[in-house]
Amino acid sequence: MPFDIPRTTATPAASKRSFLHENPSVLWFMGLLGVFTLGVTILSEGFGIGLISTNLVKILGMTLCLCLIAIAMDVVWGYCGILSLGHFAFFGLGGYAIGMWLMYARTEINIRDSLGRGTIPPTELEVSEAVAAQIFGVVGSSDLPLIWTFAHSLTFQLAMIVLVPGLLALIFGWLAFRSRVTGVYLSILTQAMTLALSLYLFQNDTGLRGNNGLSGLQNIPGALHVPQSVISMWFFWASAFALGAGYLLFAWVVAGKFGSVIRAIRDNEARVRFLGYNVEGYKLFVFTITAVVSGIAGALYYPQAGIINPAEIAPIASIYLAVWVAIGGRGRLYGAVIGAAFVSLLSSWLTGGGAPNIDLGFYRIVWTDWWLVLLGLGFVAVTLFFPKGIGGLFDYLVRKKP
Amino acid sequence: MSTLLEVSGVSVTFDGFRAINNLSIAIGEPELRAVIGPNGAGKTTFMDIVTGKTKPDEGKVLWGERSVNLLNYSESQIAKMGIGRKFQKPTVFEDQSVRDNLAMALANKRGPFSVLIWRPTDRDSARIEELAAEVGLSERLDDSAGILSHGQKQWLEIGMLLAQDPRLLLVDEPAAGMTPAEREHTTDLLKRAAKTRAVMVIEHDMEFIRRLNCRVTVLHEGSVLAEGSLDHVTGNQQVIDVYLGR
Repeated sequence: MPFDIPRTTATPAASKRSFLHENPSVLWFMGLLGVFTLGVTILSEGFGIGLISTNLVKILGMTLCLCLIAIAMDVVWGYCGILSLGHFAFFGLGGYAIGMWLMYARTEINIRDSLGRGTIPPTELEVSEAVAAQIFGVVGSSDLPLIWTFAHSLTFQLAMIVLVPGLLALIFGWLAFRSRVTGVYLSILTQAMTLALSLYLFQNDTGLRGNNGLSGLQNIPGALHVPQSVISMWFFWASAFALGAGYLLFAWVVAGKFGSVIRAIRDNEARVRFLGYNVEGYKLFVFTITAVVSGIAGALYYPQAGIINPAEIAPIASIYLAVWVAIGGRGRLYGAVIGAAFVSLLSSWLTGGGAPNIDLGFYRIVWTDWWLVLLGLGFVAVTLFFPKGIGGLFDYLVRKKP
Repeated sequence: MSTLLEVSGVSVTFDGFRAINNLSIAIGEPELRAVIGPNGAGKTTFMDIVTGKTKPDEGKVLWGERSVNLLNYSESQIAKMGIGRKFQKPTVFEDQSVRDNLAMALANKRGPFSVLIWRPTDRDSARIEELAAEVGLSERLDDSAGILSHGQKQWLEIGMLLAQDPRLLLVDEPAAGMTPAEREHTTDLLKRAAKTRAVMVIEHDMEFIRRLNCRVTVLHEGSVLAEGSLDHVTGNQQVIDVYLGR
């Protein structure tokens, strides 16, 4: 009966079921993340039996942050089809935003300690000048740059983590998308953006300490007496929470009609325009929200890394990000997480001297030299033979019902 | 029947080639109109101009009661005003289900924020079922659009066009690659849609146009060569020379 029009209000069951019920992979992910977090906590030095060193906890926490920016990359590239090669710029900006407060506040505490030993308590101006001299002496300056005006305020710098990457993405995206720059041209433009930003930051007079970057970020003002074994766990938990929240947010965003529209934009944006959707608006929305999440990921990453410098924002970092997502499997969030975790942990293992070098008799494979070759070959192999990436393996496990 | 779309004196040149040459054409509401013409006559370029994809060098495209000049609007704004377009090659979103394809086309709010919080209401779901029934895809709602046959993709696209609830449908070669039975079904669909809307069909197949039984416009080298009933235009010597005679 092809022309029988149903008059009942009975809706298909699928549309009434809850979000989590429709997306079992979200529950699985949350469960595994929870178990992982609990496991690391129990094995940590700070809160558990000490099987996992503080250094390893930091590496794992940083990996979680990389997973968070990877899912942002997956949404912008895998779902919306914008191959951004500049998202690590937003990651770095988030790191700089929190780094400014960490460095300022810690230096201020130290200065007050040493000046307070004198008989006359120091004036605010003296403190501020001493802080500036301490932070910027390395680049031959003793004035506090304008952008550090509110560096003493945690609230302000926390806001900057979101606002700076968000505004940069909004303005850059508005200019690029409005001119209908797409495909490889857009990728080149995003590379140019991140290169320009990194070159700018390398200069000494930009107020962010040039190539020295910001350092000592692992010391948290107000918790200077707390051992790193404990602080590392705080950041690990925060990173796990942020990854969980980000995953939930993006899973919700891509699950509904919004996800449908952005995937349609990826596949045929001209057609979407003729359906009446403002394609540029959608791209700008996705580009900006993923930039903000990247900023948050960066703000959690760099206090664990302890240092941020302009090399972190170099174009190659953003290219790695695309490689992780491609290897993990784009167009599925857990694929991005798998790719980022797998490749970045493998990279730490092979380049950190953990992996045994292979002696072939006539040649010795030293992984620190050969790691990039391996990564390149892996990327080519995945692109040619497994376009769905590692995440594609799950399709064999979960057979879709007919 | 009042005039819904009026294209007047439009010309467009691509690299020195005049694709549309002082073209004037109008369609009322409701009306069914067939547009024919040899290859390169400017049929697709004409659609591109009306839907905002191509901006002409001169001329006007006036729309609706208030005679809005469509040339000042973008593709998505024009689509929202009520002009729907079906492409020659079926372009549905193959990765997504028939239901999702139709849901995207439904005449709801189009802004990112409204779409983000959109969940299908009972009315939306009923409308999707209704549209699927109309284009004969009720059984395929949860299938991915990529596995549909060529004819079914054409219908899905027509269904998406109807879901937009447009006042003017621009349909480019809807019967291409269809079996005779499918063609008949398509003619019925278009004729039914044209009872309440303006429908403009570009076709090559004379048999199909005969079945549509409507006014025909013949385009040649970017302008209107003849207009009238099918018998009238097929009797025109110029039309025979440039199109039918070949």
